[in-house]
Amino acid sequence: MRPPPDDDAQQVYARWLDHGTKLALAVSVIALFLYLSGALAPWVPLESLPRVWSLPVEQFLERTGAPSGWGWIRLAGYSDYLNYAGIALFALVSVPCLLRAIPCFLRRGERLQAALAAAQVLVLAAAASGIFTGGR
Amino acid sequence: MKPSSSLRAALALAATAWCASAWAAAGEAQAWWIWPAVLFVLTFLLGIVAVIGGIGGGVLFVPIVGSFLPFHLDFVRGAGLVLALAGTLAAAPLLLRSQLANLRLVLPLALAGSVASTAGAVVGLSLPTAVVQTALGVTVMAVALLLWMTKSAENVGGESDALGELLRLRGEFDDPSLGRRIDWKTHRTITGVASFAGIGFFGGVFGLGAGFANVPALNLLMGAPLKVAVASSGLIISIINSSAAWVYINRGAVMPLVAVPSLLGISLGSRLGARLLRITPAAVVRRIVIVVMLIAGVRALLRGLGVWP
Repeated sequence: MRPPPDDDAQQVYARWLDHGTKLALAVSVIALFLYLSGALAPWVPLESLPRVWSLPVEQFLERTGAPSGWGWIRLAGYSDYLNYAGIALFALVSVPCLLRAIPCFLRRGERLQAALAAAQVLVLAAAASGIFTGGR
Repeated sequence: MKPSSSLRAALALAATAWCASAWAAAGEAQAWWIWPAVLFVLTFLLGIVAVIGGIGGGVLFVPIVGSFLPFHLDFVRGAGLVLALAGTLAAAPLLLRSQLANLRLVLPLALAGSVASTAGAVVGLSLPTAVVQTALGVTVMAVALLLWMTKSAENVGGESDALGELLRLRGEFDDPSLGRRIDWKTHRTITGVASFAGIGFFGGVFGLGAGFANVPALNLLMGAPLKVAVASSGLIISIINSSAAWVYINRGAVMPLVAVPSLLGISLGSRLGARLLRITPAAVVRRIVIVVMLIAGVRALLRGLGVWP
């Protein structure tokens, strides 16, 4: 069977994505267990959430003192913000996969594909950086 | 589970949403602990129904949870993006290995969609909630009609265009149902890229995965075989939603209590849905999905207009 021309990059991307997604899922399950079981204290007490979960995000942040941007990292010792680690892994997992695919494309002389993958990494990095947040 | 059980799953989905809404309206929302369980059950059923109905989970999750449960639409949209992201990421490695999803096809479309979805997320978080809720209602009803009217094309073909040739938008895969290897190539590349920019923007505004639009764009517009379109759509969502999700994460609009039970529920439900796909009357489930979407769309519209808060 003749291998498809992008077999190398595609297989490497699939392998890295598989590992990254499983890691993100495992972190999410553990963090949720710690959160809901009360084994680790949350920043916003679970009992007080019903009073704030129907508020727009600006008012929620104001009322709870919750962080925005990457501020969640300094609160990762609290169970609710530990859950952000799993979510962030899901949102970041494509970046190393794309970075790993770039040399595979280049080895095959596919500079345009490598450039597209690099541009995609830049877009994801810009989005993750916190430059774009919006606000009412 | 028998095929009729899948139909029950679709009906249970509507019943769960309705009960949750009635419970929230009755002032029982103060018991926080029930909501992760409700979200898990609801998204588990959504995962089954969404796979069998041939749509993404986000397009059902956001209107249903945003309209019937007590959480603010900001957090529902943030969770919608995260769960669509998690669901598509889980399936993507297998689809890439089987060569149904094609990385080369995905890269230019996902790049355009990512830029647009980031912009859409910023716009969505800047607009007044009532405006987003009203627009969501209209959009979901339009999507339901689109699903009702759209036919897929199993046998597609045609010559590749110049840009498609340059980007090498072609591939091949084994089709066990036909017992042979299928060679394919796509066309209308510029229109396709523009379409994915538009789809990405709407996905960012409303927190949707937008698989309902990706598949027709790949299949009917660009000429990718249906299986390649469905598989590549998932991979595109996994990249596009990553950039939009970061806007919501950085804004603080992802509430773990809403997002994490939902992403776990839809991941498990999607796996079961994929197993049931071959033995389930998909056309019937699809009709139920359309009805549920119309109801959720009307509810979102009325809530946005202040008629039924």
